[in-house]
Amino acid sequence: MKPMANFPPSDGSMQTQEPRDAEPRPASGVEQSDLELVRRAQRGERGAFDLLVLRYQHKVVKLVARLLRDPTEAEDVAQEAFVKAYRALASFRGDSAFYTWLYRIAVNTARNAMASRQRRPLDYEADLSETEQSAVASRMSHSDTPEATALSDEIHATVNRAVAELPEDLRTAIILREIEGLSYEEIAAAMDCPVGTVRSRIFRAREAIDRNLKPLLD
Amino acid sequence: MTDRIREQMSALLDGELPGDEMGLLVRRLERDEQLRRAFGNYVLAGEALRSPSGPLASARFAAKVSAAIDAGTVEVAPVRPGRPAPVRWARPAIATAVAASAAVVAVLLVKPAMQETAVVAGGAVQQAQRALASLPIIAESSPTPAHSQRLAGYLMAHSQFAGAIGRRNVWSSVLASDPGITRASYEFAETP
Repeated sequence: MKPMANFPPSDGSMQTQEPRDAEPRPASGVEQSDLELVRRAQRGERGAFDLLVLRYQHKVVKLVARLLRDPTEAEDVAQEAFVKAYRALASFRGDSAFYTWLYRIAVNTARNAMASRQRRPLDYEADLSETEQSAVASRMSHSDTPEATALSDEIHATVNRAVAELPEDLRTAIILREIEGLSYEEIAAAMDCPVGTVRSRIFRAREAIDRNLKPLLD
Repeated sequence: MTDRIREQMSALLDGELPGDEMGLLVRRLERDEQLRRAFGNYVLAGEALRSPSGPLASARFAAKVSAAIDAGTVEVAPVRPGRPAPVRWARPAIATAVAASAAVVAVLLVKPAMQETAVVAGGAVQQAQRALASLPIIAESSPTPAHSQRLAGYLMAHSQFAGAIGRRNVWSSVLASDPGITRASYEFAETP
Protein backbone atom coordinates (compact mmCIF):
# COMPACT_ATOMS: atom_id res chain seq x y z
CA MET A 1 0.00 0.00 0.00
CA LYS A 2 1.38 3.36 -0.96
CA PRO A 3 0.92 6.47 1.13
CA MET A 4 -0.93 9.16 -0.74
CA ALA A 5 1.35 11.61 -2.43
CA ASN A 6 0.91 14.93 -4.12
CA PHE A 7 -1.45 16.35 -1.48
CA PRO A 8 -2.76 18.95 -1.76
CA PRO A 9 -2.84 19.30 -5.53
CA SER A 10 -0.50 21.93 -6.84
CA ASP A 11 -2.93 22.81 -9.61
CA GLY A 12 -4.56 25.95 -8.37
CA SER A 13 -7.21 25.87 -11.06
CA MET A 14 -8.82 22.86 -9.52
CA GLN A 15 -11.78 23.64 -7.36
CA THR A 16 -12.02 20.90 -4.83
CA GLN A 17 -13.25 23.02 -1.97
CA GLU A 18 -15.68 20.99 -0.02
CA PRO A 19 -19.24 22.29 -0.11
CA ARG A 20 -21.04 22.27 3.21
CA ASP A 21 -24.50 20.83 3.40
CA ALA A 22 -27.02 23.59 4.01
CA GLU A 23 -28.51 21.90 7.06
CA PRO A 24 -27.00 19.22 9.22
CA ARG A 25 -28.77 15.97 8.51
CA PRO A 26 -28.08 12.40 9.45
CA ALA A 27 -25.74 10.75 6.97
CA SER A 28 -27.16 7.77 5.13
CA GLY A 29 -25.55 4.37 5.37
CA VAL A 30 -23.95 4.85 1.96
CA GLU A 31 -22.54 8.24 2.99
CA GLN A 32 -21.11 6.76 6.19
CA SER A 33 -19.68 3.88 4.23
CA ASP A 34 -18.16 6.34 1.72
CA LEU A 35 -16.64 8.33 4.55
CA GLU A 36 -15.12 5.20 6.03
CA LEU A 37 -13.64 4.33 2.62
CA VAL A 38 -12.31 7.88 2.26
CA ARG A 39 -10.66 7.69 5.69
CA ARG A 40 -9.02 4.44 4.70
CA ALA A 41 -7.86 5.87 1.37
CA GLN A 42 -6.47 8.89 3.21
CA ARG A 43 -4.41 6.50 5.29
CA GLY A 44 -2.98 5.00 2.13
CA GLU A 45 -5.35 2.10 1.37
CA ARG A 46 -5.65 2.34 -2.39
CA GLY A 47 -8.19 -0.48 -2.44
CA ALA A 48 -10.64 1.76 -0.58
CA PHE A 49 -10.40 4.46 -3.24
CA ASP A 50 -10.76 1.83 -5.98
CA LEU A 51 -14.09 0.86 -4.42
CA LEU A 52 -15.24 4.48 -4.50
CA VAL A 53 -14.32 4.60 -8.19
CA LEU A 54 -16.28 1.42 -8.84
CA ARG A 55 -19.25 2.77 -6.92
CA TYR A 56 -19.44 6.13 -8.69
CA GLN A 57 -17.94 5.46 -12.13
CA HIS A 58 -21.25 5.17 -13.99
CA LYS A 59 -22.80 8.17 -12.27
CA VAL A 60 -19.79 10.37 -13.03
CA VAL A 61 -19.48 9.20 -16.64
CA LYS A 62 -23.21 9.85 -17.13
CA LEU A 63 -23.02 13.28 -15.53
CA VAL A 64 -19.98 14.32 -17.56
CA ALA A 65 -21.51 12.97 -20.80
CA ARG A 66 -24.59 15.12 -20.21
CA LEU A 67 -22.55 18.21 -19.43
CA LEU A 68 -20.21 17.81 -22.40
CA ARG A 69 -23.00 16.81 -24.78
CA ASP A 70 -20.27 14.75 -26.41
CA PRO A 71 -20.07 11.25 -24.96
CA THR A 72 -16.87 10.47 -26.87
CA GLU A 73 -14.93 12.58 -24.37
CA ALA A 74 -16.90 11.61 -21.28
CA GLU A 75 -14.71 8.74 -20.09
CA ASP A 76 -11.48 10.71 -20.38
CA VAL A 77 -12.93 13.67 -18.52
CA ALA A 78 -14.49 11.41 -15.88
CA GLN A 79 -11.15 9.68 -15.45
CA GLU A 80 -9.45 13.04 -14.98
CA ALA A 81 -12.07 13.96 -12.36
CA PHE A 82 -11.36 10.78 -10.37
CA VAL A 83 -7.61 11.36 -10.51
CA LYS A 84 -8.13 14.93 -9.27
CA ALA A 85 -10.38 13.66 -6.50
CA TYR A 86 -7.72 11.18 -5.44
CA ARG A 87 -5.05 13.84 -5.36
CA ALA A 88 -7.28 16.18 -3.37
CA LEU A 89 -8.58 13.50 -1.03
CA ALA A 90 -6.47 14.71 1.89
CA SER A 91 -8.46 17.94 1.89
CA PHE A 92 -11.80 16.14 2.18
CA ARG A 93 -12.97 16.55 5.76
CA GLY A 94 -16.43 15.03 5.52
CA ASP A 95 -18.40 18.29 5.82
CA SER A 96 -20.42 17.14 2.83
CA ALA A 97 -21.22 13.77 1.36
CA PHE A 98 -18.34 12.32 -0.64
CA TYR A 99 -20.43 12.13 -3.82
CA THR A 100 -21.38 15.82 -3.51
CA TRP A 101 -17.70 16.68 -3.39
CA LEU A 102 -16.88 14.27 -6.22
CA TYR A 103 -19.66 15.64 -8.44
CA ARG A 104 -18.36 19.14 -7.86
CA ILE A 105 -14.92 18.08 -9.09
CA ALA A 106 -16.53 16.33 -12.08
CA VAL A 107 -18.56 19.43 -12.97
CA ASN A 108 -15.46 21.65 -12.79
CA THR A 109 -13.41 19.21 -14.83
CA ALA A 110 -16.15 19.04 -17.48
CA ARG A 111 -16.34 22.83 -17.51
CA ASN A 112 -12.58 23.05 -18.08
CA ALA A 113 -12.84 20.47 -20.87
CA MET A 114 -15.57 22.50 -22.57
CA ALA A 115 -13.50 25.69 -22.31
CA SER A 116 -10.51 23.86 -23.74
CA ARG A 117 -12.63 22.49 -26.56
CA GLN A 118 -13.75 26.02 -27.46
CA ARG A 119 -10.12 27.13 -27.65
CA ARG A 120 -9.18 24.17 -29.85
CA PRO A 121 -9.02 24.88 -33.58
CA LEU A 122 -11.68 23.03 -35.56
CA ASP A 123 -9.21 21.37 -37.87
CA TYR A 124 -6.85 20.28 -35.08
CA GLU A 125 -7.00 16.65 -36.14
CA ALA A 126 -5.30 17.53 -39.38
CA ASP A 127 -2.16 18.33 -37.38
CA LEU A 128 -2.17 15.19 -35.30
CA SER A 129 0.58 12.69 -35.70
CA GLU A 130 -0.24 9.11 -36.61
CA THR A 131 0.14 8.04 -32.95
CA GLU A 132 -2.16 10.79 -31.79
CA GLN A 133 -4.74 9.89 -34.42
CA SER A 134 -4.58 6.32 -33.24
CA ALA A 135 -5.14 7.48 -29.65
CA VAL A 136 -8.17 9.49 -30.75
CA ALA A 137 -9.52 6.48 -32.61
CA SER A 138 -8.96 4.27 -29.57
CA ARG A 139 -10.78 6.77 -27.38
CA MET A 140 -13.68 6.79 -29.75
CA SER A 141 -13.85 3.02 -29.68
CA HIS A 142 -14.76 2.60 -26.03
CA SER A 143 -17.11 5.47 -25.42
CA ASP A 144 -20.16 6.12 -27.47
CA THR A 145 -19.57 4.22 -30.61
CA PRO A 146 -22.49 2.19 -31.99
CA GLU A 147 -20.92 -0.92 -30.39
CA ALA A 148 -20.72 0.72 -26.96
CA THR A 149 -24.28 2.00 -27.28
CA ALA A 150 -25.51 -1.44 -28.30
CA LEU A 151 -23.70 -3.02 -25.34
CA SER A 152 -25.17 -0.45 -22.98
CA ASP A 153 -28.68 -1.15 -24.32
CA GLU A 154 -28.12 -4.87 -23.97
CA ILE A 155 -26.94 -4.46 -20.37
CA HIS A 156 -30.05 -2.47 -19.51
CA ALA A 157 -32.30 -5.05 -21.15
CA THR A 158 -30.52 -7.99 -19.49
CA VAL A 159 -30.70 -6.47 -16.02
CA ASN A 160 -34.38 -5.63 -16.35
CA ARG A 161 -35.17 -9.07 -17.70
CA ALA A 162 -33.20 -10.72 -14.89
CA VAL A 163 -35.07 -8.67 -12.28
CA ALA A 164 -38.41 -9.53 -13.86
CA GLU A 165 -37.54 -13.24 -13.58
CA LEU A 166 -36.56 -13.07 -9.90
CA PRO A 167 -38.77 -14.66 -7.23
CA GLU A 168 -41.13 -12.07 -5.81
CA ASP A 169 -39.37 -11.63 -2.44
CA LEU A 170 -35.96 -11.05 -4.06
CA ARG A 171 -37.44 -8.73 -6.69
CA THR A 172 -39.21 -6.61 -4.09
CA ALA A 173 -36.08 -6.36 -1.95
CA ILE A 174 -33.78 -5.31 -4.80
CA ILE A 175 -36.28 -2.81 -6.20
CA LEU A 176 -36.86 -1.21 -2.80
CA ARG A 177 -33.11 -0.93 -2.37
CA GLU A 178 -31.91 0.09 -5.83
CA ILE A 179 -34.82 2.10 -7.16
CA GLU A 180 -36.46 3.44 -4.01
CA GLY A 181 -33.20 3.78 -2.10
CA LEU A 182 -34.57 2.40 1.17
CA SER A 183 -32.26 1.25 3.94
CA TYR A 184 -32.23 -2.38 5.04
CA GLU A 185 -34.18 -1.42 8.14
CA GLU A 186 -36.85 0.33 6.09
CA ILE A 187 -37.08 -2.61 3.70
CA ALA A 188 -37.36 -4.98 6.65
CA ALA A 189 -40.25 -2.92 8.00
CA ALA A 190 -41.93 -2.81 4.58
CA MET A 191 -41.51 -6.54 3.98
CA ASP A 192 -42.09 -7.51 7.58
CA CYS A 193 -38.94 -9.58 7.91
CA PRO A 194 -35.61 -9.35 9.81
CA VAL A 195 -32.84 -7.08 8.53
CA GLY A 196 -30.59 -10.10 8.04
CA THR A 197 -33.15 -11.59 5.65
CA VAL A 198 -33.22 -8.36 3.65
CA ARG A 199 -29.45 -8.42 3.37
CA SER A 200 -29.54 -12.00 2.16
CA ARG A 201 -32.36 -11.38 -0.35
CA ILE A 202 -30.63 -8.40 -1.88
CA PHE A 203 -27.42 -10.35 -2.18
CA ARG A 204 -29.19 -13.29 -3.87
CA ALA A 205 -30.95 -10.94 -6.26
CA ARG A 206 -27.62 -9.39 -7.22
CA GLU A 207 -26.04 -12.76 -7.73
CA ALA A 208 -28.87 -13.78 -10.06
CA ILE A 209 -28.48 -10.59 -12.09
CA ASP A 210 -24.70 -11.06 -12.16
CA ARG A 211 -25.08 -14.56 -13.62
CA ASN A 212 -27.09 -13.05 -16.47
CA LEU A 213 -24.61 -10.21 -17.00
CA LYS A 214 -21.44 -12.27 -17.02
CA PRO A 215 -21.73 -13.63 -20.57
CA LEU A 216 -22.14 -10.07 -21.81
CA LEU A 217 -19.18 -8.62 -19.95
CA ASP A 218 -16.62 -11.42 -20.18
CA MET B 1 -14.72 -16.63 -3.13
CA THR B 2 -17.38 -17.57 -0.62
CA ASP B 3 -20.95 -16.39 -0.58
CA ARG B 4 -20.31 -14.84 2.82
CA ILE B 5 -17.70 -12.52 1.39
CA ARG B 6 -19.87 -11.62 -1.57
CA GLU B 7 -22.80 -10.94 0.74
CA GLN B 8 -20.56 -8.63 2.76
CA MET B 9 -19.63 -6.90 -0.47
CA SER B 10 -23.30 -6.42 -1.34
CA ALA B 11 -23.92 -4.94 2.11
CA LEU B 12 -20.88 -2.66 1.70
CA LEU B 13 -22.34 -1.35 -1.54
CA ASP B 14 -25.54 -0.46 0.31
CA GLY B 15 -23.68 1.15 3.19
CA GLU B 16 -24.98 -1.55 5.51
CA LEU B 17 -21.77 -3.36 6.39
CA PRO B 18 -20.65 -2.96 10.02
CA GLY B 19 -17.43 -0.98 10.32
CA ASP B 20 -15.51 -3.84 11.92
CA GLU B 21 -16.13 -6.04 8.87
CA MET B 22 -15.05 -3.41 6.40
CA GLY B 23 -11.29 -3.46 6.91
CA LEU B 24 -10.79 -7.08 6.03
CA LEU B 25 -13.16 -6.87 3.06
CA VAL B 26 -11.42 -3.80 1.62
CA ARG B 27 -8.09 -5.58 1.83
CA ARG B 28 -9.55 -8.65 0.15
CA LEU B 29 -10.99 -6.50 -2.62
CA GLU B 30 -7.64 -4.83 -3.11
CA ARG B 31 -6.02 -8.19 -3.76
CA ASP B 32 -8.81 -10.02 -5.57
CA GLU B 33 -9.53 -8.93 -9.13
CA GLN B 34 -12.48 -11.30 -9.44
CA LEU B 35 -14.10 -9.87 -6.33
CA ARG B 36 -13.62 -6.33 -7.60
CA ARG B 37 -15.22 -7.32 -10.86
CA ALA B 38 -18.22 -8.75 -9.02
CA PHE B 39 -18.51 -5.52 -7.02
CA GLY B 40 -18.42 -3.60 -10.31
CA ASN B 41 -21.20 -5.81 -11.69
CA TYR B 42 -23.37 -5.17 -8.63
CA VAL B 43 -22.91 -1.44 -9.18
CA LEU B 44 -23.65 -1.81 -12.88
CA ALA B 45 -26.88 -3.71 -12.21
CA GLY B 46 -28.10 -1.01 -9.84
CA GLU B 47 -27.24 1.72 -12.32
CA ALA B 48 -29.02 -0.09 -15.14
CA LEU B 49 -32.10 -0.54 -12.95
CA ARG B 50 -32.26 3.11 -11.95
CA SER B 51 -31.84 4.58 -15.41
CA PRO B 52 -33.39 2.89 -18.41
CA SER B 53 -30.73 4.15 -20.82
CA GLY B 54 -27.68 6.34 -21.12
CA PRO B 55 -23.94 5.86 -21.24
CA LEU B 56 -22.22 3.53 -18.80
CA ALA B 57 -18.56 3.44 -17.88
CA SER B 58 -16.67 0.84 -19.85
CA ALA B 59 -15.55 -2.38 -18.18
CA ARG B 60 -11.93 -1.15 -18.01
CA PHE B 61 -12.75 2.31 -16.65
CA ALA B 62 -11.82 1.69 -13.00
CA ALA B 63 -8.59 -0.04 -14.01
CA LYS B 64 -7.67 2.93 -16.19
CA VAL B 65 -8.28 5.35 -13.33
CA SER B 66 -6.10 3.21 -11.10
CA ALA B 67 -3.33 3.16 -13.72
CA ALA B 68 -3.56 6.94 -14.18
CA ILE B 69 -3.22 7.43 -10.41
CA ASP B 70 -0.21 5.13 -10.35
CA ALA B 71 1.32 7.03 -13.25
CA GLY B 72 0.82 10.28 -11.31
CA THR B 73 2.49 8.79 -8.25
CA VAL B 74 5.52 7.81 -10.32
CA GLU B 75 5.71 11.38 -11.59
CA VAL B 76 6.05 12.84 -8.12
CA ALA B 77 8.45 10.18 -6.85
CA PRO B 78 11.96 11.35 -5.93
CA VAL B 79 14.56 11.08 -8.67
CA ARG B 80 16.95 8.16 -8.25
CA PRO B 81 20.58 9.07 -7.44
CA GLY B 82 22.88 8.95 -10.42
CA ARG B 83 20.30 10.33 -12.80
CA PRO B 84 20.39 14.09 -13.07
CA ALA B 85 17.07 15.70 -12.31
CA PRO B 86 15.46 17.49 -15.25
CA VAL B 87 16.25 21.18 -14.82
CA ARG B 88 13.26 23.07 -16.08
CA TRP B 89 14.65 26.49 -15.28
CA ALA B 90 17.95 25.91 -17.14
CA ARG B 91 16.77 27.05 -20.56
CA PRO B 92 15.22 30.38 -19.47
CA ALA B 93 18.18 31.00 -17.15
CA ILE B 94 20.64 30.53 -20.02
CA ALA B 95 18.57 32.80 -22.23
CA THR B 96 18.54 35.46 -19.50
CA ALA B 97 22.30 35.16 -19.01
CA VAL B 98 22.91 35.60 -22.76
CA ALA B 99 20.63 38.64 -22.83
CA ALA B 100 22.37 40.14 -19.79
CA SER B 101 25.80 39.58 -21.38
CA ALA B 102 24.65 41.34 -24.53
CA ALA B 103 23.38 44.24 -22.45
CA VAL B 104 26.73 44.53 -20.61
CA VAL B 105 28.63 44.57 -23.92
CA ALA B 106 26.30 47.26 -25.23
CA VAL B 107 26.83 49.39 -22.11
CA LEU B 108 30.63 49.06 -22.34
CA LEU B 109 30.58 50.21 -25.94
CA VAL B 110 28.85 53.54 -25.30
CA LYS B 111 30.83 56.74 -24.83
CA PRO B 112 32.42 57.55 -21.45
CA ALA B 113 30.24 60.66 -21.25
CA MET B 114 27.19 58.46 -21.39
CA GLN B 115 28.64 56.41 -18.54
CA GLU B 116 28.89 59.56 -16.46
CA THR B 117 25.27 60.38 -17.33
CA ALA B 118 24.23 56.90 -16.36
CA VAL B 119 25.97 57.23 -13.00
CA VAL B 120 24.20 60.52 -12.34
CA ALA B 121 20.90 59.02 -13.49
CA GLY B 122 21.43 56.01 -11.26
CA GLY B 123 22.05 58.33 -8.32
CA ALA B 124 18.90 60.28 -9.13
CA VAL B 125 16.85 57.11 -9.20
CA GLN B 126 18.24 56.06 -5.84
CA GLN B 127 17.51 59.45 -4.32
CA ALA B 128 14.02 59.45 -5.75
CA GLN B 129 13.46 56.03 -4.25
CA ARG B 130 14.73 57.25 -0.89
CA ALA B 131 12.40 60.23 -1.14
CA LEU B 132 9.49 57.92 -1.84
CA ALA B 133 10.46 55.75 1.09
CA SER B 134 10.65 58.76 3.41
CA LEU B 135 7.08 59.79 2.64
CA PRO B 136 4.63 58.90 5.41
CA ILE B 137 2.51 55.86 4.70
CA ILE B 138 -1.07 56.95 4.22
CA ALA B 139 -3.99 54.60 4.58
CA GLU B 140 -5.39 55.59 1.23
CA SER B 141 -3.23 54.67 -1.74
CA SER B 142 -3.14 58.16 -3.29
CA PRO B 143 -0.72 60.69 -1.81
CA THR B 144 -1.97 64.15 -0.87
CA PRO B 145 -1.30 66.97 -3.37
CA ALA B 146 1.24 68.47 -0.92
CA HIS B 147 3.27 65.24 -0.84
CA SER B 148 3.08 64.89 -4.58
CA GLN B 149 4.23 68.45 -5.13
CA ARG B 150 7.12 68.05 -2.68
CA LEU B 151 8.31 64.92 -4.43
CA ALA B 152 7.89 66.48 -7.87
CA GLY B 153 9.99 69.45 -6.82
CA TYR B 154 12.64 67.13 -5.51
CA LEU B 155 12.73 65.23 -8.78
CA MET B 156 12.80 68.39 -10.88
CA ALA B 157 15.77 69.70 -8.89
CA HIS B 158 17.68 66.49 -9.41
CA SER B 159 16.78 66.23 -13.04
CA GLN B 160 18.77 69.39 -13.70
CA PHE B 161 21.93 67.47 -12.76
CA ALA B 162 21.08 64.41 -14.80
CA GLY B 163 21.58 63.88 -18.51
CA ALA B 164 18.78 63.28 -20.98
CA ILE B 165 18.79 59.50 -20.56
CA GLY B 166 18.85 59.68 -16.80
CA ARG B 167 16.07 62.25 -16.71
CA ARG B 168 13.88 60.10 -18.94
CA ASN B 169 14.50 57.06 -16.78
CA VAL B 170 13.67 58.87 -13.59
CA TRP B 171 10.47 60.34 -15.01
CA SER B 172 9.32 57.18 -16.67
CA SER B 173 9.91 54.96 -13.68
CA VAL B 174 8.55 57.19 -10.95
CA LEU B 175 6.10 59.69 -12.41
CA ALA B 176 4.25 57.33 -14.67
CA SER B 177 3.15 55.35 -11.67
CA ASP B 178 1.33 58.18 -9.96
CA PRO B 179 -1.05 60.53 -11.82
CA GLY B 180 -1.15 62.77 -8.74
CA ILE B 181 2.58 63.37 -8.95
CA THR B 182 2.38 63.96 -12.70
CA ARG B 183 -0.31 66.58 -12.24
CA ALA B 184 1.63 68.30 -9.44
CA SER B 185 4.88 68.31 -11.42
CA TYR B 186 3.24 69.99 -14.39
CA GLU B 187 1.85 72.65 -12.07
CA PHE B 188 5.32 73.08 -10.55
CA ALA B 189 7.00 73.41 -13.94
CA GLU B 190 4.51 76.06 -15.08
CA THR B 191 5.05 78.12 -11.96
CA PRO B 192 7.40 81.01 -12.70
